[in-house]
Amino acid sequence: MNQIKIVRIHNELLGTYGDQGNAEVLEFRAKFHGITANIVDVTYNDDLPTNGDIYLLGGAEDAAQLLSLEALQRGDNLNILHMAIERGAVILAVCAGFQIIGNRFVANGQEVDGLGLLDVTSVPGDKRFVGNIKTTSSVLGFELTGFENHMGRTILGPTAQAFGKVITGHGNGDSKYDGAVSGNIFGTYMHGPILARNPEFADLLLTRATGRKYAQITDPLALKYATWRRKVI
Amino acid sequence: MRLKLSILIAKFAALLSKKILRRSGETIAGRVLLALYPKAITELSKGKKIICVSGTNGKTSTTKALVSIISKLGSVATSPSGSNLERGVAAALMNKSEFAVLEVDELHLSRVIEEAKPKAVLLLNLTRDQLHRMHEVKRVADRWAKSASAAPETLFVGDIDDPFVALALNSAAQAERISFGGNKHKDAAVCPSCGKYLKWVRNNYKCACGLSNSSPDETFESGSAAYRNATMANVVGKFFGAKPIAIDEKSLERSVDQVHKGVNANIRLTKNPASWTEALKSVTGENAVLIVNAREVDGIDTSWLWDISFSGLSGKRVVVCGERALDIAYRLHVEGIEAEITSSFDDAIAKFESGADVHVLAAYTAFHELVNS
Repeated sequence: MNQIKIVRIHNELLGTYGDQGNAEVLEFRAKFHGITANIVDVTYNDDLPTNGDIYLLGGAEDAAQLLSLEALQRGDNLNILHMAIERGAVILAVCAGFQIIGNRFVANGQEVDGLGLLDVTSVPGDKRFVGNIKTTSSVLGFELTGFENHMGRTILGPTAQAFGKVITGHGNGDSKYDGAVSGNIFGTYMHGPILARNPEFADLLLTRATGRKYAQITDPLALKYATWRRKVI
Repeated sequence: MRLKLSILIAKFAALLSKKILRRSGETIAGRVLLALYPKAITELSKGKKIICVSGTNGKTSTTKALVSIISKLGSVATSPSGSNLERGVAAALMNKSEFAVLEVDELHLSRVIEEAKPKAVLLLNLTRDQLHRMHEVKRVADRWAKSASAAPETLFVGDIDDPFVALALNSAAQAERISFGGNKHKDAAVCPSCGKYLKWVRNNYKCACGLSNSSPDETFESGSAAYRNATMANVVGKFFGAKPIAIDEKSLERSVDQVHKGVNANIRLTKNPASWTEALKSVTGENAVLIVNAREVDGIDTSWLWDISFSGLSGKRVVVCGERALDIAYRLHVEGIEAEITSSFDDAIAKFESGADVHVLAAYTAFHELVNS
């Protein structure tokens, strides 16, 4: 596979926190592996493409989050995501996007059903978590850094596994874990954007999306940046 | 404690701060005054005609422009250092004057309106900025709308091409709604009034709930942010009977020309996606220095750098510095622009030959250090 399709979902709604950069980093890292990435921006009124390899969702304010959910529940979109998961496509969902792909969440005081792709439920807490976050993940085997800014308290159901163990920060609200993972579906509260701050995670997503093993990338600046952020978070 | 005595003590504190610490002394004066006399803003506002200026970008330069417009009519109190929280407001009001033109932080505007009861409030724009503090743009917009509806005696003037400003103006009993023929807003995909998907047709929006920029009270030609802000300052001035000033965009931009080690540096303030995007348009030469910090007033997170397109810098010589030089360097790297990374502004400037013209885009704290040093 020398080409992949990256689907950036509702960036005009889920683009509050720089998470659109995740698509750019994937495209950039893919180039090193000889893969041509094609970033497809899907807006509120569009249908999702059926042949995406990586689907990305980002952070948003409450009203935007509800609109994005509504659009993803419309027509064949949810079915397209289910089929994508079945064929091994990757989903990376950050913050509001993470809540959207869960079972239930609350936005603007309204409790709603999410897409149910990850077995998690989110409710608002009484305090906003704003600050740097550092985790370590057994799924990845390396430390991740990012920035969190949310009120969400996310509880994992039996079929979801915690994505990262919190070293610094709050994550899902208990200060123990951040995000959730199930197969190739990743949810997290980490902005940064997460793939910019942790380029090795981008490589892992590319590997998962293509099913191929790639040689390690030599990009000194990326390494320097990620290492420095881990040191200072 | 009596107000007069409190002012005296506050002024003494300012004097000490100036003499001993060599600071402007305004912040400390305001702090001391409010600690001794919490209702100082309310009391000192009585008998003054007050105008507030707020918005994400352009507050300081617009306030300056408005001061020069209003000063033709009478004495004007203002806080020249751009200290725009309650303490800065209180310090500015300490002196006797007929008018006061006050720059006010977006989140602190409600309280200042409540206490100072301004005759007019100029709302420039509202975009993403310092999200660690503002949390959400909508949250700030809702506060504005609430204070506008609670101030029926105040005239609200603003740019309704910005839906968040329009929302506030729609809530006001008295409003002068200005349009510059539309301006696509990057953070307004959702109607701030009803929460529906906001329908934009190129630069104009119209929501089913009624929020739109299609029926302004006054329309002007489109132009740069500096031009729009100065135009609105003139509109506010007109309400007080002042003659409009000629609009000199260059002097209204938050930029300063300095010579560093023989290098001609045009230093410009850049602090969020909207102001970066505006500033990047001004980089017409071949050389650029970008300074990125992430202190409290800069915004402690730099994720938003990824929401800016730096493609205009492609092919130019770009040097980065500041505490977050690596954040910006990696962001540029992914966009295909290889910057030289340096550890200080002096080192960055030293990369250029004497006589070179360099555009310096500086984070808030870096800008103030360079301009005040």
